[in-house]
Amino acid sequence: MQNILVVDDEPDVRDSVKYVLDRAGYSVRTVESAMDAFAELARHPTDLVITDIIMPQINGVEAIESIRKAFPSVRIIAISGGGNFGVAEYHPTAITTTAYLASAEKAGAHLVLTKPFESVELIRSVEQVLGVGHA
Amino acid sequence: MARLRATFWIYVTAWVVMVHLVLLPALYFGMGYVIRESHEDLFIEHARTFSRVLADEFEVGAAMDSQKRIEDLLDFAITHGGARYAELYDRGRSVRSLYGSSDIKEARSTDLRFGEGGDGIYFVVRPIEHAYHRAELRLGFDEQPIQERIQLAFTRMLWLLAGYLAVAIAIAIILSYRLSRPIQRLQAVSRAISSGDYTRALNVNTGIRELHELAADLEAMRHELVGVNVRLQAKIKEKEISEVRREDLQKQLRHRQRLETVGTLASGIAHEINNVLVPIILFTDSALQDLPRSSAPRANLERVLAAARRAKDIVKKILTFSRELGEAKLALIDLREVVAESLHLFSVLAPPTIEIRTEIDESIPLVRADATLASHLLMNLFTNAYQAMEGAKGVLTIGLRYQEGDDDPGIARPGVEFWVRDTGRGMDSATVERIFEPFFTTRSVGQGAGLGLSVVHGIVESFGASITVESKIAVGTTFRIFFPAVARAEVIGDVAAPVV
Repeated sequence: MQNILVVDDEPDVRDSVKYVLDRAGYSVRTVESAMDAFAELARHPTDLVITDIIMPQINGVEAIESIRKAFPSVRIIAISGGGNFGVAEYHPTAITTTAYLASAEKAGAHLVLTKPFESVELIRSVEQVLGVGHA
Repeated sequence: MARLRATFWIYVTAWVVMVHLVLLPALYFGMGYVIRESHEDLFIEHARTFSRVLADEFEVGAAMDSQKRIEDLLDFAITHGGARYAELYDRGRSVRSLYGSSDIKEARSTDLRFGEGGDGIYFVVRPIEHAYHRAELRLGFDEQPIQERIQLAFTRMLWLLAGYLAVAIAIAIILSYRLSRPIQRLQAVSRAISSGDYTRALNVNTGIRELHELAADLEAMRHELVGVNVRLQAKIKEKEISEVRREDLQKQLRHRQRLETVGTLASGIAHEINNVLVPIILFTDSALQDLPRSSAPRANLERVLAAARRAKDIVKKILTFSRELGEAKLALIDLREVVAESLHLFSVLAPPTIEIRTEIDESIPLVRADATLASHLLMNLFTNAYQAMEGAKGVLTIGLRYQEGDDDPGIARPGVEFWVRDTGRGMDSATVERIFEPFFTTRSVGQGAGLGLSVVHGIVESFGASITVESKIAVGTTFRIFFPAVARAEVIGDVAAPVV
């Protein structure tokens, strides 16, 4: 069974993603911040991290960069709903979803997904990313 | 005391009359005195000379010895000497001319002054030396003709002076009138100037140097005023224009700021809603998978899912407005193709009451845009136009033309202008002001969210193009989108790229 770690500051998002992926047969754990994610990654072997981008303290892009460095074998999916709320600083040049997701891709995310998404889309994306890893 | 102010000619004439009223009597009496004196002197001179000459006649020869000779000489004095009384008195014997006036009874002693006798007769007594004794020639001259002459001279002088006075007054009137005419013209023009009319020229034709110079000075002043006025008006106009321009820019800035604020807010809300939609969609989705096909709550859950998807679409539109849809994939495209495609699609949807006209230039340069977004943009504008003309006949005009640039970068840049004009209801300025705000709609509830034009705005901005609206109530609305021209080098580079 493949291990997935979901990182999102929104409990509803965490829980619903976990629910769908649990049912799809994955072993899913959730954390609410990038800091917790690092601790969790160090403790358990993980195949895939699904992380939000706009989060307090450490944002998703930084988190992805760090994970890629510390855990090169871990696959990453970035998810974002866009908007400019929730970030400490205002980045006028990086306010678009595409811009966030593009920077996530640049930081090393294997796939980006725009919120909100359907169960099917989520599962297909996870399969795609993990499949690439196993190919 | 109020000072009496007469017009120029009355003033001058009155002065002339007053001066003459003083001068003319003096002249009259002075000249009269001279005339009278000279007449009297002549008369006395004549009387005395005549008397002396006649006395000499008596003295020479033997005149005194002949009674006849004495009488003849005395008669001569009456007939040829102007005397009215002639007597020779010799040793108690008196001989008188019979031609003399019988009124005069006897002679007086010599009168020294004219008119002294009071009876109109001037007496001269002349001694005649004769042999051993003295005789006396007594002559009385009539003063009456001289008096009459003097009187006549006075009458003539009076007429002369009266004529002179009349001529003087006439000259005064004519002269003062001629003087006052240029003054009146100067006055009229200066009045016009003071009432703001600078157009009347001052061309006073006068031989008077002072007036001529005054007119020239006033004319120079008027020219100066005209110049100042023109400069002032130009300045005011300039100021008005810059004021209008400033207001216009401020309005644009305010408009932009508001849209930006709304955009920021919208993108924030979009983010939040997107997060909220994740559990709704995912949980509902999963629940639907668990439920059997025939179960009762299934239909409800499907509606929840559909609603959530609609919410997702709305958020997507909001993000488009706030440039969150993602960077448009800008490429050089031919707007005519986009217009033709959208028009084809729209002509299927549009009701037959709407007539579609096109004013599309033959040759349009390529512009930088995203073809999909551009057609989305056009469809939104078409829909908006036909909704504005809903329920009535109308004309929808679609135009596309190349606009030559102006040297002045502030006025017009070269580029492609696209416009959509409807003959619909039109909007007031307050509506025009807010037309690009999301959720702003003039339609009634349930007819649409009012996102169309905010999406249009977002797309236009993402192209680096600009959009303006002109609208008139009951006449219609025109949306104009201006795509700045792409530099030639860029065009060549982009077009060449796929070939290589």
